[in-house]
Amino acid sequence: MTELNTKAGTKLITHFIAGYPDIESSYETAVGLINGGAYALEMQIPFSDPSADGPVIELACRRALEKGFKVSDGFRLIERIKEYRDIPVYLMSYSGIVYNMGIDRFTAKAAAAGVCGLIIPDLIPGADEGLYAAGRKAGIQIVPVVVPGVPDSRLEEIMAENPDWVYLALRAGITGSYTILDEVNLGFLDKVKTYGVKIMAGFGIKTPQQIKTLIPHCDAAIAGSFIVDRITSSYNDAAGRISVTEAAADAVRYLLG
Amino acid sequence: MSKYNNFFGDYGGRYVPEVLRLPLAELEAAYVEAIEDPAFMAEFKTFQTDFIGRPTPLLHAVNAGKALGGADIYIKLEGLANTGAHKINNAAGQALLAKRMGKTRVIAETGAGQHGVATASACARLGLECVIYMGTEDIRRQRPNVYWMELFGAEVRPVASGSATLKDAVNEAFRDWTSSYKNTHYLLGSALGPSPFPDMVREFQSVIGNEVKQQADFKIDAMVACVGGGSNAIGFFSPFIDLSGPRLIGAEAGGRGPGPGNNAVRMDASAKTGIVQGYKSRFLLDDDGQVLPTHSISAGLDYPGIGPQLAELGRTGRVEFVSVTDGEALAALKFFAATEGIIFAMESAHAGAAAMSIAKELGPGKKIIINMSGRGDKDIFISAAAFDGKNWKTFLLEESGRIND
Repeated sequence: MTELNTKAGTKLITHFIAGYPDIESSYETAVGLINGGAYALEMQIPFSDPSADGPVIELACRRALEKGFKVSDGFRLIERIKEYRDIPVYLMSYSGIVYNMGIDRFTAKAAAAGVCGLIIPDLIPGADEGLYAAGRKAGIQIVPVVVPGVPDSRLEEIMAENPDWVYLALRAGITGSYTILDEVNLGFLDKVKTYGVKIMAGFGIKTPQQIKTLIPHCDAAIAGSFIVDRITSSYNDAAGRISVTEAAADAVRYLLG
Repeated sequence: MSKYNNFFGDYGGRYVPEVLRLPLAELEAAYVEAIEDPAFMAEFKTFQTDFIGRPTPLLHAVNAGKALGGADIYIKLEGLANTGAHKINNAAGQALLAKRMGKTRVIAETGAGQHGVATASACARLGLECVIYMGTEDIRRQRPNVYWMELFGAEVRPVASGSATLKDAVNEAFRDWTSSYKNTHYLLGSALGPSPFPDMVREFQSVIGNEVKQQADFKIDAMVACVGGGSNAIGFFSPFIDLSGPRLIGAEAGGRGPGPGNNAVRMDASAKTGIVQGYKSRFLLDDDGQVLPTHSISAGLDYPGIGPQLAELGRTGRVEFVSVTDGEALAALKFFAATEGIIFAMESAHAGAAAMSIAKELGPGKKIIINMSGRGDKDIFISAAAFDGKNWKTFLLEESGRIND
């Protein structure tokens, strides 16, 4: 499976939003991302107040909720995706959603649906409400988010949770706007790498050039808002020139170069 | 009570992305140090006396008490604080702290606009760059405050995401802060959000309660405040929380009545414990944990969460909660204007309305203090439309015609 979806050694993790533009289209999006050559999927469960997200993802989450998206729809979606292709699926959401269901119950449900890891940016080591313990119990990874500027002492605390993967946000701020790759964030990638963890790196990844620059420093690149933008354009195109599935696949092929 | 608690029972805490961990830890350290530093507190005290106009009066509302035929009513006139509401107490404290921390830029959210006006004013005085986030729905409701903020040199950024009200302005301010914290202080306006905000805002607002303690030369039977996020209430209640009396009563926005989307009542069975905007408290959430829409005639109470300390004090029963509808708030506004010559802010009118029924319930010989957290000048577009819609519309049409000329 890994070989199938790893083009020339470049692993791309593609983010999409469950229930956006609607539930069926989000399934078609996932199929397109897989067909285009994604190494893994990062599926976001929409939350009403996504305060770490920029305007593209915030609006997409709001649209999904306006159409009546429920968290249970998200778990069904993962099961369908896993039936289509046994690809790693990471689930991203906010503490509000996870806490509401109960940390243990949410984690167990995610594991049962076939999720391999949870990315919950506002439940961090030390203030995680038992998320890391729940992950160990359910046999599911919890992927911490780190960002350049995190002091060494804090990195040690995070690594004490023994994560397999770390989500490295390449800059401070919110998702969406373009990230310049420089010695600061690339240097930080190399530093985190010395802990022997696998790194998925993202935030503002929009071009194949960025991914080429990134890949020697990490294990996978993540693209989010760029893909959501492409899906939105395709879905809103009244002429219907390109299906959501094709748009998603094209976006991945473009990024993989 | 300690000046830094972080948690209040199960409520409170700091549930934020890793990127905000460091700035909040720095803020906590700066706050804990400043609040114990006599030099800082002296500077704050001077600001309170010279600029805010403290102490604000405690008025014996003789006519109101007589008209109701129940307990004696006293009103803490926070609306006489410079910029028109209690919000300036916290804005001044945090702006001084921001300066002490070497920050050059301040961001804030605002609902009714009172916190935005207070922050913009304090920043103008202290020479800090200021950006205010405000929901487009609130801008529509509280336009006059936008002009004042801009006059103070602040940039008002409209927020159209979500429900385009206070909670969305908070989200937007957090988004700004995640990339700007090196030179920017987020001057949060209520006793909520990730720690240390609930503790810090309470301490800066506790001047209200401390003054009441000195001014009231009688036994207080009950104290009543409106509760949106709860900064005026927690500041007003603060010195009394650890005592067994007086009764402390919070008035929430009952809006149009019961039912999701009709009100902002968090302290009855319709709300539940959740984590939203960096803190754990009681919120209005659907079965998935999505934040529900809220409604109140007053922008300042139109918020789905309550400060964590008030949530805990509600759980223990130290603070009692009642809800007041839009109509009852309007009636209270009218009552106190007619009997005492005082115009309550729409938010504070909720406390006024609650006090009117509590005064009757307590009966003669008892004494009750209302915190009038703000004055009602800013609400003229809402109250005039509600009380005298036809004439007000005629006036607005004529006035807009004059501007065109």
